[in-house]
Amino acid sequence: MLSLKLSRWLLGYVRFDVHSGSPERFYTCCARSGAYLWDIKPGISGGACILARKYRTLRSNARRAGCRLKVTERRGLPFLLYRTRGHAGLWAGGAAFCLIVYLLSLRVWCIQMPDNNSIPREKLEAELASAGLTRGTLKSSIDPQAVSERIMLKFPDIRWMSVNLRGSAADIVIRCKTEKPKIADLKSICNIKASATGQILSMKIFAGTPAVKKGDAVTEGQLIVSAVVVDQSGGSTLTHASAEVTAETKHSFTVSVPMKKHEAVPTGRTLYRRNFEIFGARLPISLHGKPQGSWRISAEKFDVSLFGTPLPIGMYEERWEEVRVKDSLMTKSQARAAAEAEIMKQAKSAMKDGRVTGKKITEKWGKDNLTATALLNCEENIAREAEIYLK
Amino acid sequence: MHTPENLFSQTGLSIKGHMELNGNHEAVVEGCSGILEYGETVVRVCMPGHTVRFTGRGLNIQCLTADALVVTGYITGIEFLS
Repeated sequence: MLSLKLSRWLLGYVRFDVHSGSPERFYTCCARSGAYLWDIKPGISGGACILARKYRTLRSNARRAGCRLKVTERRGLPFLLYRTRGHAGLWAGGAAFCLIVYLLSLRVWCIQMPDNNSIPREKLEAELASAGLTRGTLKSSIDPQAVSERIMLKFPDIRWMSVNLRGSAADIVIRCKTEKPKIADLKSICNIKASATGQILSMKIFAGTPAVKKGDAVTEGQLIVSAVVVDQSGGSTLTHASAEVTAETKHSFTVSVPMKKHEAVPTGRTLYRRNFEIFGARLPISLHGKPQGSWRISAEKFDVSLFGTPLPIGMYEERWEEVRVKDSLMTKSQARAAAEAEIMKQAKSAMKDGRVTGKKITEKWGKDNLTATALLNCEENIAREAEIYLK
Repeated sequence: MHTPENLFSQTGLSIKGHMELNGNHEAVVEGCSGILEYGETVVRVCMPGHTVRFTGRGLNIQCLTADALVVTGYITGIEFLS
């Protein structure tokens, strides 16, 4: 039925009304003369449809039946084209439209990437660009296999990758590697020694013979758990000693904080520069040029998507905030807080799983700086494996 | 087994041509030679040797060629008039 309607529309048809006379006779005459009528309406002013080029043949039949015909509708492609005969611009526009659509469909306009925490999006985009996959690249010039191989070589975290070209979109699919768990090397023989000087608070021995006990004071490098295990019969075996030894330790850190600081203070003047992005081209829609002076810039990009598919249009907005570099002097409390923060930062990096239980900070105020020395009481695991090499 | 022509013969009618009904809303008539009457409630079609009269509501001739037509609408009766 659809094909019938389509062929009628392509050939063009007219709907006409039949007035006066005998419509039945007219329809019969038409049928006998070979005219194909459809959608015949009953009544005094009934009518029917016929192919446009056959309409003229109905006149003699209408005369014979004493009817008058009146065309009420003209439909189909021939009439559509006829209406635009005097508008060369429309034809040119249509042709240009078809040409532009064809040319644009030869290129990649959307690159769909999954959000992946292990690989930053910007890095991946930059690497794809260097591999030859950017917005506006000719599809025929892209080798998806080569692009994916290159990216996989660049990012060892990627286990599998695929570049799928669908229409004008490139769909990137990435599967990351799962990290292997760290397997403890239990085949080697090792003692447990103290990594710092302190007093032992608790001991958990998993393997080996303890050389010290809870409450003992140990120095750095002292043996805590021995790899030699003596059995009941008096024989000795060597093992991979393993233990968790929590001790109270002391650490000293010295930091120097300058009292003068240079900071960029916003003046309150902000400027927005907006660009409209279409097919990879950036068209400025703000009249502001690049301002002179000290400015802090932040940029944001808005992509337009339709039903989850990103379109090659978007908005790029730059926010320019004027700043003034100001030298200021810190107050004593500010300097103290900054020094303490720096000390805690250093302590955290020195002790991985320890905690600070107490601190004593001595301050030395200079002309333009504060030197703070902190003596920290800490609780930490001081067990450190020391391998024994046997020949 | 009775073919449609034999069935009509048994009822005393001798009908030439072919008629196909699709429920009571469409009738395809082949071998007709003209329309005698056409309205929303009645369509009278000339067949060789007799006349067929369709009665109903909202009757409409869907298409018409030299020897066939399709009547659509709510058909309530078909009469064969000699």
